[in-house]
Amino acid sequence: MSYYDVDSILTDAQKLPCTFELEVPGLGILEGNPGEDIKAGTRIDLPLWLGEMLSIGARLGTSRLVSLDLPPALSERVMNALKADPRTIDLRALAPHFYNLSERILELFEEEEMVDVLSNTFRKRAAEITDHAHNPRGAMGDGVEFLRGLDETERQLFRVAHDSAKQMRIWSGESKKPKT
Amino acid sequence: MAFPLPRGITPPEIAFLAEMEQVNIVPRQRLEGLELLGGPVEPLLPPRRATLPLWLALLLKRQRRANIVPPSWLHPEALSLILEIETQHSDYQNAFSPPPPLPGQPSVRDRETQQTPVAMPRSTQDGERYYASPPFLPQNVARDYIPPGEPPSLPYHWLEVGNVLLDAASDDLVDPDQTRRLLKELREVRMAKFRAGTDVLDAAAIGGGGVALTGVGAMEIGEGRGFVTGVVDGLRKIGASKEQARREQMAEDMANGGYGATQEDDDEMEF
Repeated sequence: MSYYDVDSILTDAQKLPCTFELEVPGLGILEGNPGEDIKAGTRIDLPLWLGEMLSIGARLGTSRLVSLDLPPALSERVMNALKADPRTIDLRALAPHFYNLSERILELFEEEEMVDVLSNTFRKRAAEITDHAHNPRGAMGDGVEFLRGLDETERQLFRVAHDSAKQMRIWSGESKKPKT
Repeated sequence: MAFPLPRGITPPEIAFLAEMEQVNIVPRQRLEGLELLGGPVEPLLPPRRATLPLWLALLLKRQRRANIVPPSWLHPEALSLILEIETQHSDYQNAFSPPPPLPGQPSVRDRETQQTPVAMPRSTQDGERYYASPPFLPQNVARDYIPPGEPPSLPYHWLEVGNVLLDAASDDLVDPDQTRRLLKELREVRMAKFRAGTDVLDAAAIGGGGVALTGVGAMEIGEGRGFVTGVVDGLRKIGASKEQARREQMAEDMANGGYGATQEDDDEMEF
């Protein structure tokens, strides 16, 4: 994760449901009514970076401005679905940077079980990804649904696995060298 | 644009490294000894076999000045035996067939007879003793005498040497078509095993466990490198918070007196 990493910047922009604990004058713009106040108890989806900063007051001893909730992509329902069968879930529809997001969320929340579910999911799906990467079935094959549901981290994995298999085929003369 | 090549080394680079392997040739012409950076090359006298680095052997072969003697393992019989070990043998369902024994390591035969093998040290020109390691071990030379009971095994650079020899010297091999088919089959079987290893990678990332890569060739490692490191890295990131919690727990235990305190507690319990 570097400063210039586009994926990390995009992860920061993902929305997180936050509940305001205090009344904030003049911040109604977040809710869509510029100039108004935000009442205590309002629920608004804020970007990860903003929500993280606003909720940090709790650690400094002052009363915090907002409290965070789990994003819908990591809700109980999704976790149960992942436990049942990791391969059929469309992670990309849940969050384009699903694993990066969950990594950030796990830093904020203590969720021992979620770690286990997610690493199991990642492993199962990785095995599937490498199978697809080594035996490409074309754009219309049966794996298309699965491959479309890969999140950004998994896409990179697929790319790496596919490229190394391709390089091997080029080296052993099974396929032609691309014209450069 | 970033550096266009992937991390790790590319297949042509691995194949380049494999050209340091020693192979046997039967020269057709005389050649005086050469003083190469990699060591001296013995003079070539036509009917006598000589041991050369693979790249030099290929060069002579292309100029039709020599014939390459295929390594003992690059033989349909040996290869189908290895393939049988890989697919049928119950001990190797999830493991790769064993690599050739290193000097000083017991081979299968030695384990049965309880002999302790002795590695033969060699001496450099300055008189220092050393133990040779690949690529200076004769793993790819043709052996006239194979001790009975020693199974054929794939050397570290099997895929590269096999492919290069099939390309450049197929007329020197025994049944090249069959050999090519067996090599391809072996590769597929072993790649499937390699991929199945992804399931155990989790244990390696979170602590403890690991994947046995004994017997995996250079090219296979090169191919799997990008993917495997990607998976391990992903798992590490997901498990980072758990790991952090575990570390804090350990630090707390240490602060509370660590081992000494717990042992004292145990003692008190007994009384």
